[in-house]
Amino acid sequence: MIAPPLVTAGLTQELAAAVDELRRLTVQVRTRGAATGAGVLWDGGGSEGRGLVITNAHVVRGDRATIELNDGTTAPAHIVARDLKRDLAALEFQADRALISAVVRGSPPLRVGELVIAVGHPGGLAGAATLGIIHLAESEREGRTPRWIQADVRLAPGFSGGPLADATARLVGVNTMMHGSLALAVPAAAVEAWVRRAHALVAP
Amino acid sequence: MSTVLQSLSTELADAVQAAGRAVVAIHARRRIPASGVHWRPGVVVATSHTISRDENITVTLPDGITVPASLAGRDPSTDLAVLKLAGQSVPTARLRSDTPPTVGELVIALGRPGPSVTASWGVMSRVDGPWRTWQGAEIDSLLRLDLAIYDGFSGGPLIDAAGRVLGINTSGLASGVPVTIPVATVERVVTELLERGTIRRAYLGIGTQPVRVPESLAGKLELQGDVALLIVSLESGGPADRDGLLLGDVLLELDGTAVSDSADVLAKLGGDRVGRPLAARVIRGGQVKTLQVTPGERPKSRAA
Repeated sequence: MIAPPLVTAGLTQELAAAVDELRRLTVQVRTRGAATGAGVLWDGGGSEGRGLVITNAHVVRGDRATIELNDGTTAPAHIVARDLKRDLAALEFQADRALISAVVRGSPPLRVGELVIAVGHPGGLAGAATLGIIHLAESEREGRTPRWIQADVRLAPGFSGGPLADATARLVGVNTMMHGSLALAVPAAAVEAWVRRAHALVAP
Repeated sequence: MSTVLQSLSTELADAVQAAGRAVVAIHARRRIPASGVHWRPGVVVATSHTISRDENITVTLPDGITVPASLAGRDPSTDLAVLKLAGQSVPTARLRSDTPPTVGELVIALGRPGPSVTASWGVMSRVDGPWRTWQGAEIDSLLRLDLAIYDGFSGGPLIDAAGRVLGINTSGLASGVPVTIPVATVERVVTELLERGTIRRAYLGIGTQPVRVPESLAGKLELQGDVALLIVSLESGGPADRDGLLLGDVLLELDGTAVSDSADVLAKLGGDRVGRPLAARVIRGGQVKTLQVTPGERPKSRAA
């Protein structure tokens, strides 16, 4: 019997572990019964019994949606904030237990060539993952975050609203669209800032 | 938590960062800039098809400074162009010329279609021996890639996981399919372009079409193969015409090698053959005849 190559074996295990972790914070979003995309469990600021999901505005057309967690439980959700320009939406739902939420990578800045993992539900295939690298890292001038994270990673419809994460499963962006074979994601820092502003407006 | 995955991620980013220091943006067309590689001190290699003007070319260096560049020469048949920069202190690319890439090897394509470096990754999908482009140039080895092509792909380097350059990428040689021109070919073309400004290629001034030689004739003339090349066009006053080849001659051998398609003829017409006679064995009027033909230097934009 041939022993498996050590580096490859370690790589495979660690990749599987990172994908598992990302799957736990990725939800499916359904609108009027149809699977429309993915969403990321977000820290709702400690409000008991309520879960917060961030997704793309284009994933949720109406005011209501159904979300399905990784363990298969479903919950009705309603829109609490929507921004068509940034293509972001925030959904709230009743949670009967404490939920994990995405950990945003604040620093160090992204580097071109770094590995990234995307999780989503293409064509109804729940929890699919793809691996790629950062394609372009725009220099952050005067503290402004770039409009898009550009990644060389194969996405398909169904990944929209799902997480783009680094090799340690920290969130770097929310997958939003394809431009040719390039994946464009809203930077996690921009999502965080938007949630803070938008959610404050509707929080009770 | 992860160690191997994180190390791989860091090493890929390190490779991009190190190799990216020798990748420049070239402004020589209307669209977005193309990429180039600082190959030797003051010498930038780019792809010919992304340079649409000979004058007013500028190059943006990795530090963001844009400087003028002059076109030292170009070779559309290998899709390579060489630019010269004056007095720059940009590092040159680290070349990997000792070990060829292997199928399945992890590779990264870099570009700079603007101020920032871009990357896509994939694997070598095919590594093979020498091949000839449609314009007749010989490329030392066939390097095919399984990766996505983005803006700035052509003229950028293909690098290995250690950041060493394996060649120059282009989508302009194999009808949009990404290929890499290996270091050996780039070195050869750069040296010749710097010396002469163009790549010399020999030509005969003939157009040919493969034909099957009838068995009876092949037997009678004791021929090796049964496919030869019928001369269907002859450039008036060209090398073949001048040396007595006729329309309707069937070319069997050139320089002692049987020819059965036009690539076989091109293979005999390297730049070093200009002015050196070749033996041409032909069937003319049912008889085999050998003539001496002396290839001339191929004028620009002429096939064989």
